[in-house]
Amino acid sequence: MSLLELKNVSKTYKNGVPVLKNINFTLEKKECIGLVGESGCGKSTLARCILQLESIDEGKILLNGTSLHDKNEKSLRPYRKNLQAVMQNPASSLNPKLKVHDSLLEPFRQYGKDAILKHFIYTNEKKFADQLMEAVELPRKLMDRYPHELSGGQKQRISIARSISIEPALIVLDEPTSSLDVLTQAAILKLLDDLREQLELSYLFISHDLSAVNMMSQQIMVMKEGSIVEQFAQENLFSEKRHSYTKQLISLFE
Amino acid sequence: MSLLKVSNLSIAKKHNNIVENVSFDIRKGEWLAIVGQSGSGKSLTASAIGQLLEPNLQAAGEVLYEGENLLDLMPKKMRKLQGTRISYIFQDYQGSFTPFLTIGQHFEEFLKTHLKLSKSKRRIKAEEALASVGLKPEVYQRYPFQLSGGQLQRVSIALALLLKPDLLIADEPTTALDSISSFQVLQLLADLQQETGCAILFITHDLRHVRKYADRILVMKEGKIIEQREKHQLLKQPEHPYTELLIKASLPLRAASPLFSPEVVK
Repeated sequence: MSLLELKNVSKTYKNGVPVLKNINFTLEKKECIGLVGESGCGKSTLARCILQLESIDEGKILLNGTSLHDKNEKSLRPYRKNLQAVMQNPASSLNPKLKVHDSLLEPFRQYGKDAILKHFIYTNEKKFADQLMEAVELPRKLMDRYPHELSGGQKQRISIARSISIEPALIVLDEPTSSLDVLTQAAILKLLDDLREQLELSYLFISHDLSAVNMMSQQIMVMKEGSIVEQFAQENLFSEKRHSYTKQLISLFE
Repeated sequence: MSLLKVSNLSIAKKHNNIVENVSFDIRKGEWLAIVGQSGSGKSLTASAIGQLLEPNLQAAGEVLYEGENLLDLMPKKMRKLQGTRISYIFQDYQGSFTPFLTIGQHFEEFLKTHLKLSKSKRRIKAEEALASVGLKPEVYQRYPFQLSGGQLQRVSIALALLLKPDLLIADEPTTALDSISSFQVLQLLADLQQETGCAILFITHDLRHVRKYADRILVMKEGKIIEQREKHQLLKQPEHPYTELLIKASLPLRAASPLFSPEVVK
């Protein structure tokens, strides 16, 4: 059974504009699928639908074989802990009034009693927070700071620490490095790649940066105007068989 | 030939130098790129040229343009220079437009300030400028929020190049765009440079954005220039280890995962 399966998922905005057109794909455990496309092609909407932050009009979204979109908010709650996200703008994903320490522990305080931890060990909050900081390679002393006292890269590391703290089945990474400079980008991508190995995580990695997607993913999906143009294994990116749109994207990055 | 010469430029905040003794020149019609991480002082350097620094920052040194030090220029004279001889485009394309004015009104404001033209001629000039950046005449009636980021950045390029300046200072114009639109905007800038012959000072953190078009590259770190050379030399044989790092972090797509080499990630 696949970890995540999308079957004929479609969504149309109220003004009649279709935003997702018949999306089908499966994501296996411990796998990273990269989703690449221009702004406005629907990649973030797809992410929000998978995260159950938006509804879909047609089709099915299955997490470990359980259909999610037809559940109400209360029955959805146990599944939410398995769906975590790291968003593009780390400044807006952290509560400016909370110290890093509290932001860090927020997901665990919320979902921790249901979480099955395989890699982290929970004895008390302090020790647990230390483990998380260590996992994202940040010094412990940053825990007493507020988000505005951290750099963009540090904030993004905190967002990542939050998302991995309850060891979710799937993390949706929606342009996690787009607002960072190149060296910070490289460090964050490396961290995410290492964590996937260590914690046996699965990622849906969304980006408009084809080179980042190429480095992170085993499978690559190319999206255009609400449809998935094609899906292929990473090593076949430069194959002659690629769709003309994919080839066009590749040419931009050379 | 040198168009603009920056000598020993320092920018200080309360006696702390944020930019220190920066010297370089921009030659006529060339594409000069300043590359560096966030906080390296590259944007401050670019802002100092047009007296755009915030009031709490002081610039010292010399920015020589046609025999005059731009840092000492009276505001009135500076305003005349801006837009006609030296123009800017910025990363924050939304901030470059007044939200309640149409694109057309932005053109009107600009043309009325700098030229004496009849209404119909202004309209024609604006529509020609829009066409030159690949936008349809309909855009003239639109409001900024009705356009995408890439389209808005095109409009700001059209405005910046309207009066054929000698120098266009582009401060991370592609950073807020998705990579597809950003490569299109870069191509457009290169085409327009061919046409108008203006020099471009291009600020970016991503070497990928200058690999193709820049003539020379200048690398900044912690307020200082650590290396400035012709592009091919710099990319092939960087002298400074930091430059090497930046190059490794932004290799072209086909290169094997250089991202994960230990020295880049450190």
